[in-house]
Amino acid sequence: MPKEKILHGIAASKGIAYGKAFIYEIKKTEVFQTPILPVYLKEEVARFERAIEKTKEELNKIKEQINREIGEDFGQFLDAQIMMLDDESIIEMVKQRIFDEKKNVEYIYNEVINEYAKKLGESKNTYFKERVVDIYDVGERVLKNLLGISHTSVLEAPPGSIIVARDVPPSEATLINPKNVIGIAMELGGRTSHTAITARALEIPAILGIGELMGKVQNGDDIIVDGERGIVIIHPSAGKITYYESLQKKSQQLEKALLPVCELKPETRDGKHIDISANIEFYAEASHALKYGAIGIGLFRTEFLYLARRGSPTEDEQFKVYNALAKKMKPHPVIIRTYDLGGDKLFSDYHEANPFLGWRAIRVCLQEKDFFKTQIRAILRASVNKNIKIMFPMIATYEEIKRVKLIFNEVKQELKSKKIEFDEGLQLGIMMETPSAALLAPYLAQEVDFFSIGSNDLTQYTLAVDRGNEKISQLFDHYHPAVLKLIKEIASAGHSAHIWVGLCGELAGDPLAIPLLIGLGIDELSMSPSSIPRAKLVLRTLTIPNCQEIAQEALNYRTALEVKKFLNRIVRKKFSGIEAVMK
Amino acid sequence: MIKETITILNENGLHALPASRFVKLADKFTCKVELIKDGIKVNGKSIMGILTLACEKGAKVQLVCNGKDEKEAFAALRQILEGQD
Repeated sequence: MPKEKILHGIAASKGIAYGKAFIYEIKKTEVFQTPILPVYLKEEVARFERAIEKTKEELNKIKEQINREIGEDFGQFLDAQIMMLDDESIIEMVKQRIFDEKKNVEYIYNEVINEYAKKLGESKNTYFKERVVDIYDVGERVLKNLLGISHTSVLEAPPGSIIVARDVPPSEATLINPKNVIGIAMELGGRTSHTAITARALEIPAILGIGELMGKVQNGDDIIVDGERGIVIIHPSAGKITYYESLQKKSQQLEKALLPVCELKPETRDGKHIDISANIEFYAEASHALKYGAIGIGLFRTEFLYLARRGSPTEDEQFKVYNALAKKMKPHPVIIRTYDLGGDKLFSDYHEANPFLGWRAIRVCLQEKDFFKTQIRAILRASVNKNIKIMFPMIATYEEIKRVKLIFNEVKQELKSKKIEFDEGLQLGIMMETPSAALLAPYLAQEVDFFSIGSNDLTQYTLAVDRGNEKISQLFDHYHPAVLKLIKEIASAGHSAHIWVGLCGELAGDPLAIPLLIGLGIDELSMSPSSIPRAKLVLRTLTIPNCQEIAQEALNYRTALEVKKFLNRIVRKKFSGIEAVMK
Repeated sequence: MIKETITILNENGLHALPASRFVKLADKFTCKVELIKDGIKVNGKSIMGILTLACEKGAKVQLVCNGKDEKEAFAALRQILEGQD
């Protein structure tokens, strides 16, 4: 038996898969050189034209598939690829050189593509440098069509395959068939790469950025992908297999048991309705949200729109995404959060020592007013669907919300003067994720229609802990009494001002936290789609008076550990039936 | 013939999206369209040509339109080069 090997990578898509390795390798097509008799030169050119046409059909088909299944915003890179294919300079040059050099089209085309790729590769700017991938992607397709070679494609993966690759180009990632492909392991890529997004959309576990991988796996090898821990196990031992199989079985059973729950109303045993909604970051996830029974989208992160383009998307590009999402979720609400990244993602020459305390989110938007207005305009235009709400992140001061509203109203006026329709009653809310916002909540509440507590950032800023730092990440704890006290302040301030208060961090989907949050007065819980059924089950065992009692008591403890111990003890005792879903 | 130097204002330079918009638009005109940067001249109706110029923000490029509808072409194409998206 070959020895078991464990490799670590980035857990880009959750879940566990045990299957056989399917090696996907982009082998560069070997190109030969041969002289062509003058009488056949015309046929050589015709062959070239046919190959271009065929490739164009292929790319258009892939583009349609992406538009249909993942969303139009992701198919755009294909427009550029189709143009590269159709490029008149290249086509003319190839034709000319076929006649001049009297050589076969494969050879000439390959030469021309390489020359362009080389020029681009010399660019100092990483963006232009990375476009080399697109050129080769297109070039390879054409060469394969010229030579009549079928593509090595993920389409060929048999059932039960785990794709093992150095990289899967975007045009290929979209061809992954979830009926056959059950997992992905890749040397390159990260959480925001195309493959990661496709994997999450298809709900296939994926570990990316593994580093050296290809030399260690053969086609057909047994392999486990653990998207919870971010590891890949090659030649797993019998013990590991049993362990993972039992894990898989358990989660499948749970999923099955939870399926009917998706349909249930999100309310407590004593009849109080709580909005349970979904956090998503791209359009395709909306169908998961609906499948799991979300009452709307509580948080639509718009960052991916920016990351995918490595720059700002236009108003129309954004509008298309927001509009499609609003239509899909109707009549349920969709809360769109404006830009929440650091300035470094917009300006490649911008760097700072302390990004979490730096120029990010609303701070960027308030300074880059035109950039901010573009996004607001796109959101307002999509609001004609009457189910959109807008939310601004990282508010820390009263002046900020005042300034945000000033700009927001400016955009509204501009739209009105241009007779562009939008929803006049659109709700405006803010993320409550800084301690200062929590302490100023009574004033902020006068200015907005809702609060949404970002419990991850609120914890990080309250406890002054960067959870990404391994040395101190154990200090990061949502159950810290300091965090809970701030949540209570926010909820009370919201209710005194008669606005609703939601919570959209990890805490929202944690069964142990739900009774506590309900007791603190949270009206809406927004979580990852797959957490929804369990949260509904928990919710349906609760009663409001009991939750309030628990919340009151929890605030009396001094440490996060004490709070958790108390909750573990009391929750099981107070709510019969909760036991089954707590694990 | 119209020939003028234009500064790229887009934060990300003349990347694939504006470049493809540029080509699509240039294709609608019959006149010849060329871009020149640092002495290198490329066909303005070729996305590969434009990308190989690797125009970053602040880059100065000469836009050359030559033909019957050069005036309209120049005005329209200039907007893309100076555009922010």
